[in-house]
Amino acid sequence: MDEQVATPTLPGEPATPQPAKKPARSGRVSRRAVVLGAGAAAGGLAVARVLGLHKIGPDPLALVKGTSAPIVNTKDWMSPLGQPEAQVAQLLRRATFGMTKAQYDAAVADGFKKTVDKLVETPAAMPKELPGGETATQEKPINASAMQTWWIDHMLASSTPFAERMTFFWHGHFTSDFRKVSTQSPYIYWQNLTWRKYALGSFRDMLYQVTTDPAMLRYLDLGQSTGRSPNENYSRELMELFTMGVGTFTEDDVRAGAKALAGWREPVTQYMVDYQIARAQMQGRPAPKNLVADTVKSGIFDPNRAFKGSVAFLGVTKQWDTNMVLDRIMQQDSVAPYITRKVLREFVMPDPPDDYVNRIAAGWKKSGYDLKTLMRDVFMSPEFMSPGAYRTLVKSPTEMMVHTARALEQPQLSRAIAQSGSGMGQALYDPPEVGGWPSNASWVSSNNVLTRVNFVVSTLGGMQKLPPYGSAHQVHLDGIVSEQTAQLLNSATDDPTRWLILLASPEFQLK
Amino acid sequence: MALQNVGIDKISRRDFMRKGLIFGAGARGLAAGYAAVPDVFAKAVYSAKGAGVQNDRVLVMIQLGGGNDGLQTVIPISDGKYRDLRPTLGKEADAALRLDKDYGLHQSLKGLKSLYDQGKVAIVQGVGYPTPSFSHFDSIRVWETGDPTRRQQNGWLGKAIEKNYDSAGHPLVGCATGTTSVPGALRDLQATLTVINDQASFKFQGNSDNVDKVMGTLYTGTPGIYGALFDTAMSTVRDTVAQLKTSAKNYVPKASYSDNQKLVFSSKNQLAAALQLASELIVTGTGVKVLHVTLGGFDTHYTELNRHSDLMAYLDAAVSAFHQDLTAYGMADRVLIATWSEFGRRPQENASGGTDHGTAAPVMLIGDPVKGGLYGEGASVSKLDKSQNLAFTVDFRSVYQEILSSHLGVDGPDVLGASFDRIPFMRAAAG
Repeated sequence: MDEQVATPTLPGEPATPQPAKKPARSGRVSRRAVVLGAGAAAGGLAVARVLGLHKIGPDPLALVKGTSAPIVNTKDWMSPLGQPEAQVAQLLRRATFGMTKAQYDAAVADGFKKTVDKLVETPAAMPKELPGGETATQEKPINASAMQTWWIDHMLASSTPFAERMTFFWHGHFTSDFRKVSTQSPYIYWQNLTWRKYALGSFRDMLYQVTTDPAMLRYLDLGQSTGRSPNENYSRELMELFTMGVGTFTEDDVRAGAKALAGWREPVTQYMVDYQIARAQMQGRPAPKNLVADTVKSGIFDPNRAFKGSVAFLGVTKQWDTNMVLDRIMQQDSVAPYITRKVLREFVMPDPPDDYVNRIAAGWKKSGYDLKTLMRDVFMSPEFMSPGAYRTLVKSPTEMMVHTARALEQPQLSRAIAQSGSGMGQALYDPPEVGGWPSNASWVSSNNVLTRVNFVVSTLGGMQKLPPYGSAHQVHLDGIVSEQTAQLLNSATDDPTRWLILLASPEFQLK
Repeated sequence: MALQNVGIDKISRRDFMRKGLIFGAGARGLAAGYAAVPDVFAKAVYSAKGAGVQNDRVLVMIQLGGGNDGLQTVIPISDGKYRDLRPTLGKEADAALRLDKDYGLHQSLKGLKSLYDQGKVAIVQGVGYPTPSFSHFDSIRVWETGDPTRRQQNGWLGKAIEKNYDSAGHPLVGCATGTTSVPGALRDLQATLTVINDQASFKFQGNSDNVDKVMGTLYTGTPGIYGALFDTAMSTVRDTVAQLKTSAKNYVPKASYSDNQKLVFSSKNQLAAALQLASELIVTGTGVKVLHVTLGGFDTHYTELNRHSDLMAYLDAAVSAFHQDLTAYGMADRVLIATWSEFGRRPQENASGGTDHGTAAPVMLIGDPVKGGLYGEGASVSKLDKSQNLAFTVDFRSVYQEILSSHLGVDGPDVLGASFDRIPFMRAAAG
């Protein structure tokens, strides 16, 4: 075989500027040709047929057309991260839900550093109220699909896309699902508001909000746990999934933690009280006694339900309350690297080296676990720009669809996006398990590749008017595409076909 | 041609897997040269696997996600301690469907009881592994990889497919239905696998034949660490779309599959639909060998009595319909259905009327090729370990080994990396 391998570049090394040109290959027989014989037509003809075109036009795309420069037989994406435009674009793909052309232009004009400042420092814009959210009861539950659309709307419209992206990150980390939480109270809606409010503050503060969040009290059963018979669910996941990681605590810690945390109950809203009274009247029963609405939107601590006595938790024996438990957890050396690693996997590379994790974790710990500091350090780290980080993350379905709506400037797609999520494995507020969403390679199954392509096809098919394609491959793909993608783009003769190729391409699934 | 290089490609692919890019664990990294991952990886997927195994056996694994309570599934009806430990849940002992003087099936498992009476259900009790993990994810990984030391990354079924079946042009050898992602038990980048969440929508939208062709071109020679994965996924899509067109024409369900998806609280279950599709793939001769489906919702920390009963009823209805369908098509003698769950639950009921994470639990093996009855030693609630959990009596890999060797007719110890005690729950070894 005559294949050469691109020289690996270490993360941390200064990125060498690379010309924005396609990785191209000399005319060896493709795998498809080997496997399917004549199954796939040449790109141009096939594309022409997709949307009924009959003419293969001249190369309309200067930047991705075949080049007369020496052919580079590369095995990996050629990193363009030496260029300011590509740096900014990668930031927008990862720290937000993708961008419109105008957002791209504005960020490029600002430059990388200023864009990071703006993203990180701007407090989260709150969404408009979800109709039927506050008032949810058994009689009038929240419409889950409307709540999903409501969030996508905000992802599309929010003036603080990074805060929104972090809200989405915490939704996958401190996860709850609307099925177990139920939609017959405002809890799951409140949780979304709370995660947004705390998304970029102190992690320790957020942890208290998480622990006493009504939806979380329901989802991991802490609201049912009492000192007399503690429920271990929250205690375990608090340490294993939320803060410290598996293998950093003992089963005794789980049991002790369950005792130490017991005593919380879910709050009741005036709407929920009113409904109980109305139902009693309707059934000819006396109104339930002592049924009073709570004034807070978080758990209520009832000392009578708590554990009285001391327990040994993470090496310290004493009588605990919830804040003491959280403080003790935050003293563990495992917390900073555990959370940092998860953040780096989400925003930088799938397998960050230990020294990178530890360096960022140390800075975060020193800041008193300030999340803005953490995220700024992550984006400003040389590794974020390293060729080793380029196109190493797979967009989640939500990221892919919201980016599509942005690229096409179609905010009305929110409903379609909300409805398409479950077929791709990501229905909002409904993660598959307490561990949250899958990532990267787990998103690439036959089912998911098909449903992503179908989303693009039906979206484009349903649109009356498309923005001009222009140099969308430059804005959204840094001008770096595979030989096949370049060939298809080059032979496409109208914008809908070009958008189809771009949005359905493997390149667009990566960030 | 590149096919000459298959051996080298396979080694590189494995190295790539070891770096943890798929499971995202344990590796140093990208720095170590991920960029050297050749885009010809996908070719290895299509390489010939030597002599494929030639028999007509099919395996259907049902995952009971969340940790199924074994003590509420196969109930120790004669054990007074069981009722003491479970003031609420223990009453199921009275209603249990009696298997012998000591054990009874949960009352909702009526269809399975009937199959048991026909000698078509084997129950292996006390199944677990040493130093059990109480973490869902950790323990799921142990069961998926068949490795309690947590070193393996490939799934045991993925390995079985990769080692024994030529999946070239046969993407349906390994298949997950009713889900959107590849289950860990099937995962192995060397094995072509397909995932079908919903059959009706498993086709290209728009001018579908042409979209199909364009996507075939677009997903070719994709560079980068996910390149082979994307390209393989798309070629699998195209093959599966073509296959489903044919199989849908040749199948009418011959049993009533419940389509009630809302029955089970706090879970998104489409087990019945997933098994119906499994049946279609089996009876229409698509070449499917290993199927994986999931029923979730078993993490019953809270109000377990009704929830678990609903789950049992749903499982029972779906599996009974599936077996009836296969029987009507004359295929039931080929198909083994096996359940698995990451762990059982704590014998002591908690204050929420539920149970916390536990250890050993029974595994059910269902189908005509099974030699019915109770196997293994029932875990005793009177002899709890120091964490107040059941001590396992049968290593789960003994069950896997029998499935692999005696049902699928492949080399079980080779797939599992070691040999385990036999549990002879299969009627006859596959020919």
